[in-house]
Amino acid sequence: MTVEQGIEAVDQFPVGMRVLAVDDDHTCLRILETLLHRCQYHVTTTDKAQTALELSRENKNKFDLVISDVDMPDMDGFKLLELVGLEMDLPVIKLSSHSDPKYVMKGVKHGACDYLLKPVRIEELKNIWQHVVRKSKFKKMKSVVTNGESEGNSDQNGVRANRKRKDPLEEEDEEEEEQQERGNEKKPRVIWTREMHNKFLAAVDHVGIKNAVPKKILELMDVDNLTRDNVASHLQKFRLALKKITNEAKQQVNMAAANSHFMQMSSLKGLGGFHHHSPIPLGSSQFHGGAATTRHYPSNRTFAGMFPHVSSSLPRNLHNDGGYMLQGTPFPPLENLHINSNNKAFPSFASQQSSLLVAPSLVLEGHQQSSSPSYSPHLEINKRLEDWSNNIPQSNVHSEPDALGWNMFGNSTNQTYFCRDTDFGSSSAAHADSLQMKQQHENIFSPMTVAQLLRSSSANEGLFMGQQKLEDGFMASDAGSLDDIVNSMMTQEQSSRVLGRRLA
Amino acid sequence: MDAHVAQLQMQYRNYILSLYQQGFLDDQFTELKSLQDDGTPDFVAEVLSLFFDDCVKLVGNMARALDQTGTVDFSQVGANVHQLKGSSSSVGAKRVKGLCINFKELCEAKNYEGCVRCLQQVDIEYKTLKAKLQDMFNLEKQIVQAGGIVPQVDIN
Repeated sequence: MTVEQGIEAVDQFPVGMRVLAVDDDHTCLRILETLLHRCQYHVTTTDKAQTALELSRENKNKFDLVISDVDMPDMDGFKLLELVGLEMDLPVIKLSSHSDPKYVMKGVKHGACDYLLKPVRIEELKNIWQHVVRKSKFKKMKSVVTNGESEGNSDQNGVRANRKRKDPLEEEDEEEEEQQERGNEKKPRVIWTREMHNKFLAAVDHVGIKNAVPKKILELMDVDNLTRDNVASHLQKFRLALKKITNEAKQQVNMAAANSHFMQMSSLKGLGGFHHHSPIPLGSSQFHGGAATTRHYPSNRTFAGMFPHVSSSLPRNLHNDGGYMLQGTPFPPLENLHINSNNKAFPSFASQQSSLLVAPSLVLEGHQQSSSPSYSPHLEINKRLEDWSNNIPQSNVHSEPDALGWNMFGNSTNQTYFCRDTDFGSSSAAHADSLQMKQQHENIFSPMTVAQLLRSSSANEGLFMGQQKLEDGFMASDAGSLDDIVNSMMTQEQSSRVLGRRLA
Repeated sequence: MDAHVAQLQMQYRNYILSLYQQGFLDDQFTELKSLQDDGTPDFVAEVLSLFFDDCVKLVGNMARALDQTGTVDFSQVGANVHQLKGSSSSVGAKRVKGLCINFKELCEAKNYEGCVRCLQQVDIEYKTLKAKLQDMFNLEKQIVQAGGIVPQVDIN
């Protein structure tokens, strides 16, 4: 595309976005085609996966987005997803009438940007263009990072200009990206380990969240090879997470809502709320994969436990102000988890930035895939569920340093994050009926490994913040970590918010 | 003439409403109708005919799969049911979709008798729906021939 054409395209985008639709079911394909036309996209259809692959290979710039069914006779839908994603680096949206979380998870793991359930509705399709934009931004970030430039926006501009794909979008994204990039570390990735994060939290707590400046935090943390910039971007994420939690805490949410939200999120149009601040994950922290896999919360963990002073302050904070639920709690993980939160606030915690625990993000964003942690969010959710069931007064929280409340990391094994709701239903659930969740989810996910998950992680953990909320319908449990609370709060909020959306 | 048209339109309206009330159609069908416009006047008819062709094909596949004298490949049956479920939900064929949900469970449970019975029901159901929709299209044609326009039926 020439520059002029590129500019025009930008102006009109998402009108004219080129979509390749693949589905062996002719009825659905025809409907999809019409729906896409209604959204003013340019559509090419085929009922064979092989043809789709060939078409997209023919000209790598031919399509902006691919929507493909999962069950196809000539090629596994997931395989197509991988191939298209890898070779052409196109955002791929999966389509299926399988609402089974297992499939959704599989889609996410194979790199799907989104997973839509049939029957597809036009509202969902109207937002799919977001994936294209996100992906292009992601690529930009990536290219910038790999160039190893640490500063110099002009260099960034140069790099951006060199990017071939999504040129039309550059103009739109430039400013935003610059800001993001500035905040991002273009240096070699810094892995934000739990210990580091704990130190970070302690430092933040020490100076007070309002006074937290990267320089001070860096000093307090006293970690080698950590730059002010690393801390700055980490702090930014943290703040966003906090904000989110604060907002959420203000709302009454119940689990069901959270669950439905989650689920919905996955199927919803591209992450309605998912804006990422640029792939922070890129380049910056990689959470050691171990986090994702190991997590255990033997008995809670909260980050609070690590820092005595923190813990003591926590409850106080909790009671006092709706604001920070927990000072210095690692929100991000939670947030990411169940919220397609825009900020992958601490993606790093979640196992790898790229995988951003946030399950939604995984689902939604194809690029998220990173090897394992992809489902960390999933784990987290489960964790969260557990936490909920554990309903513990905050004061008990402080547990082990590892806890860090990153529930997320905890359940590394689980993949079905969608199972969240189901978790409630099945697991610790004594209070499975907590209701809404159950009702809401009945049509969505079935408790799969949730039960397993729950069993695997220490069941009673998690401080549950907001007992009242718990009572609303969560399962009572015994211990909890602050971040559990936070998590639950976030979840709640999210879910209620999402609840409104496609519930069905 | 107008009275005749009005009468036909009323008949049409009632007919459509009854289809919804009896559970033959659901919201998805409404969505489908809303996608039809002057640019694509036959959209609904086209999609439905694709759907019924699919039904014939899938039911045939399932019948063959269940008719094996040896061991029945339930996963094959299940795959077809899944596909039918997808397309029926996309067109708003509520009853067919409902049957597919049961059918799927029966396949998973490898319940041969149940599957055979369910398949028969699916067969009857889609044919019934086809006949009903055919009547609906005929009414539409009559209205147009009588000089009227097909009314938009508000389901609520």
